[in-house]
Amino acid sequence: MRRSLSAILSLLFLTVAIADDRYEKEIKKNLEKIDECKTPNDFIKLANNFERIAVAEKDKWLPYYYSAFVYVLASYSDSSNSRKDIYLDKSDNFNNIADSLQPNNSEIYTLKGMISQARMQVDPMNRWQKYGAEATNNFTKAMQIDTLNPRPEYLIGVGIFFTPKQFGGGSTAAKPILEKSLAKFEKFVPENEIMPKWGKEQVVDYLKQINEAK
Amino acid sequence: MKLLFTLSFAFLLSTSILSQTKISGKITDKTNQPLPGANIYLKDTYDGTSSEANGTFSFTSDEAGEFVLVVSFVGYQSHSENLTLDKKEKYLEIKLEEESTELGAVVISAGSFEASDENKAVILRPLDIVTTGSDADIYSALETLPGTQQIGETEGLFVRGGSASETKTIIDDMTVQNPFYSSVPDIPSRGRFSAFLFKGIVFSTGGYSAQYGQALSSVMVLKTQDLAPKTQTAINLMALGFGGMHTQRWENSSLSVEGGYYNLGPYFKIQKQRTEWDEAPESFEGSANFRYKTSETGLLKAFTSFSYGDLSLRFPNLDSLSQKDFFYQKSSNFFANTNYRDILWGDWTLFAGYSVGVDNEDDEINTNFANKDDVFHTGKFTVTKNLFSNSFVTFGGEIQNLDHSSSFNNLKGNFKETYLAGYAETDIFFTNDFAGRIGVRAENSKLINKTNLAPRLSFAYRLGTYDQLNFAYGKFYQTPDPDFLLYSKNFDFENADHYILNYQYIGTDRTFRIEVYYKNYNSLTKGTIQSYPFYNVPIVPFSNDGKGYAKGIDVFWRDRETFDYTDYWISYSYLDTKREYRSYPSLASPTFSTPHTFSVVAKRWIPEIATQVGLTYTFATGRPYYNPNNPEFLGDRGKNFQNLSLNASILTNLFNSFTIIFASVDNLLGYENIYGYNYSTDGARSAPIIPPTLRSVFIGMFISLGETNPY
Repeated sequence: MRRSLSAILSLLFLTVAIADDRYEKEIKKNLEKIDECKTPNDFIKLANNFERIAVAEKDKWLPYYYSAFVYVLASYSDSSNSRKDIYLDKSDNFNNIADSLQPNNSEIYTLKGMISQARMQVDPMNRWQKYGAEATNNFTKAMQIDTLNPRPEYLIGVGIFFTPKQFGGGSTAAKPILEKSLAKFEKFVPENEIMPKWGKEQVVDYLKQINEAK
Repeated sequence: MKLLFTLSFAFLLSTSILSQTKISGKITDKTNQPLPGANIYLKDTYDGTSSEANGTFSFTSDEAGEFVLVVSFVGYQSHSENLTLDKKEKYLEIKLEEESTELGAVVISAGSFEASDENKAVILRPLDIVTTGSDADIYSALETLPGTQQIGETEGLFVRGGSASETKTIIDDMTVQNPFYSSVPDIPSRGRFSAFLFKGIVFSTGGYSAQYGQALSSVMVLKTQDLAPKTQTAINLMALGFGGMHTQRWENSSLSVEGGYYNLGPYFKIQKQRTEWDEAPESFEGSANFRYKTSETGLLKAFTSFSYGDLSLRFPNLDSLSQKDFFYQKSSNFFANTNYRDILWGDWTLFAGYSVGVDNEDDEINTNFANKDDVFHTGKFTVTKNLFSNSFVTFGGEIQNLDHSSSFNNLKGNFKETYLAGYAETDIFFTNDFAGRIGVRAENSKLINKTNLAPRLSFAYRLGTYDQLNFAYGKFYQTPDPDFLLYSKNFDFENADHYILNYQYIGTDRTFRIEVYYKNYNSLTKGTIQSYPFYNVPIVPFSNDGKGYAKGIDVFWRDRETFDYTDYWISYSYLDTKREYRSYPSLASPTFSTPHTFSVVAKRWIPEIATQVGLTYTFATGRPYYNPNNPEFLGDRGKNFQNLSLNASILTNLFNSFTIIFASVDNLLGYENIYGYNYSTDGARSAPIIPPTLRSVFIGMFISLGETNPY
């Protein structure tokens, strides 16, 4: 009886291990698809994949986070302002669920800032006051929680890069911030393969663009 | 036991290989249009897929037994249904309903214009208010919308044949008794409140909700900002004076303190005035704005402001060529508004607020002294309960207490009014395309000892994705103006019926709106009182026998799409109105009405120089004015009104600080506008009522200290 119990127990562990393994595999598989997405529909399908993992797993923040992240990318890929806002509403919703599952997480606050930035871009003239400040607050919080996270500075840098020179933006103002981000990227080691690690290539690209323009 | 183990393992194995179920189908919207990108999955499993461009989907699952199939898609309501997985192929056709909180739902909007920065389709943005016209005044900006009249000689919004006192300003759901700075004869004063205080404005030109009362024509509902986004210090320098502002933001609270000193003296030296100022307007102002977030859903707001100012000027006296009338005015105002809003038990929204305004004005006219004091308290509570999809029911109550005193030399008058109101209203979405608002308001005035019951109705029917039809009816009551109540309490409420039919198209970047209305005035207050302007007509006894009507068409078109970086809107109002009230001897079109009003606002953002340039052109036909020599009362018509104003906002960096430089010219083309005429007592002499300057130029800048960019 004892043996059978242990057998059943080990079987149980085995299935848990299989399930965990599957979870990681699914996340990894879908992360690899991000770069292939081009149209808003591609992004939505990918966000759907993450949403399915999130709903099946229930208590894991990462798939909610990734679904939210991909919805921000979807908003950048779409031309309709009203659809952009609908994607960002969904993104906000998922990122808030991630936040409730994993409070005080630097990556989640970074994404909050990214959502605010995307909201602002829908209608910069009318929204910069509200969403500009919101983005800054979220990035600041993200940096406070984890000083080694290179992503908040990457996004702040990009924000400044696209801000007209008259408002203190432009490539010269963005450069030192992007360089700081790159320095952090060089040292950054994600906890495991499925944790957020995006952004480094883009920072390199931006810096290349800035240096070539000179 | 070993057997059991093997068996169970075999069972596990078999389920995964042998019992695959194929699930396929098609996802469409209500009109059978395919929806690509919908997420279809089995709850609690990894199994699922997204729909293709033609709405079809297909996936297989290794699971067996009872499951829930979920379909979710952005902008649509989630759909779920039970599904038994039994190896048999499943084909499902699923229609998704649009989520009514999104852009797709019908909006109850007859009679109203909304400016909001929330993420929804609205006619204006709060920023539009600041960048329209030449003086960054909320009321001037609203005068570019249809339904309003161009009245240059006095402040206030004159809506659809209504007088200025028929429009009420409401801040955070509470009425403000004195929203304008004290007025001077023939010179309009500005609104007290800066457009930057508000996150949203609903300007209703009729048929509004039962939540608001004591306004026969119109309400302007202002919603103040929530928590200040960040700590910030700013200064503003203007041709008229200077001010400073500091905002401190903490985790869950924020406090802004603002102060300013304004003196038009130096400005008048450069800007030639036609009005003979003795002492140019000078004022001190201060305000404090506090926000405290009590929880995820609760927000406490407290705002207080104070102002003091004085001025003096001379008017030509039409009865004596050698003499001029001297006018001196000293005024002060205190205002406070505190309110709390929270969501409890998931679907109950509670609001409670208290507001107080103390207004004092002392006038000296030659050797006469006049004084006016108002103390106005308002308390209001509102409870809203969500029902289903977007439907909700609201009820609440309001108490207003006005202590009004007025004196002219040794003549003193005073009254105390207590006004009570209760209302109940429901917003029902019969379907996603058809919604109604049904409400009723009951009011009691202690002073005149009268009670009324006002029904309000509004329906909206969506014709397509972007267009809808609206209808509204309402009965509106208002207590007679304080001027009358000083003399007699024997009055009834004045009242008006509104009937409104409206068609509107709101696309992402183009808006079209046409509204037809009929307004019927009853029980308007009649009687002769000593007030400006004074008509030399037979004395009319006090009664509620006044009446009138207003009918017309309002058209609005806005387009942000056709021209790059350019946004323009066009408004046209046709108005036919007559009334018999106050000392009017007969039914006549009032001085604040004209048949045709037309305005165009165009704004262009020039990215190369980070500047927004705006032009506002207004044309209005001549208005009636009183000529004692004409046997027909208000039978004369003035000159057509025209104005072209230009403004520019330059966004730049000064001293390493983000700076907005604002410049404007009013009446750029120097068109000589005449608002009406004043006559001598014997009617022999007259003088035109003209603006204090032909053209006016304004320049100012706003500097956010230590911030190089708007982030």
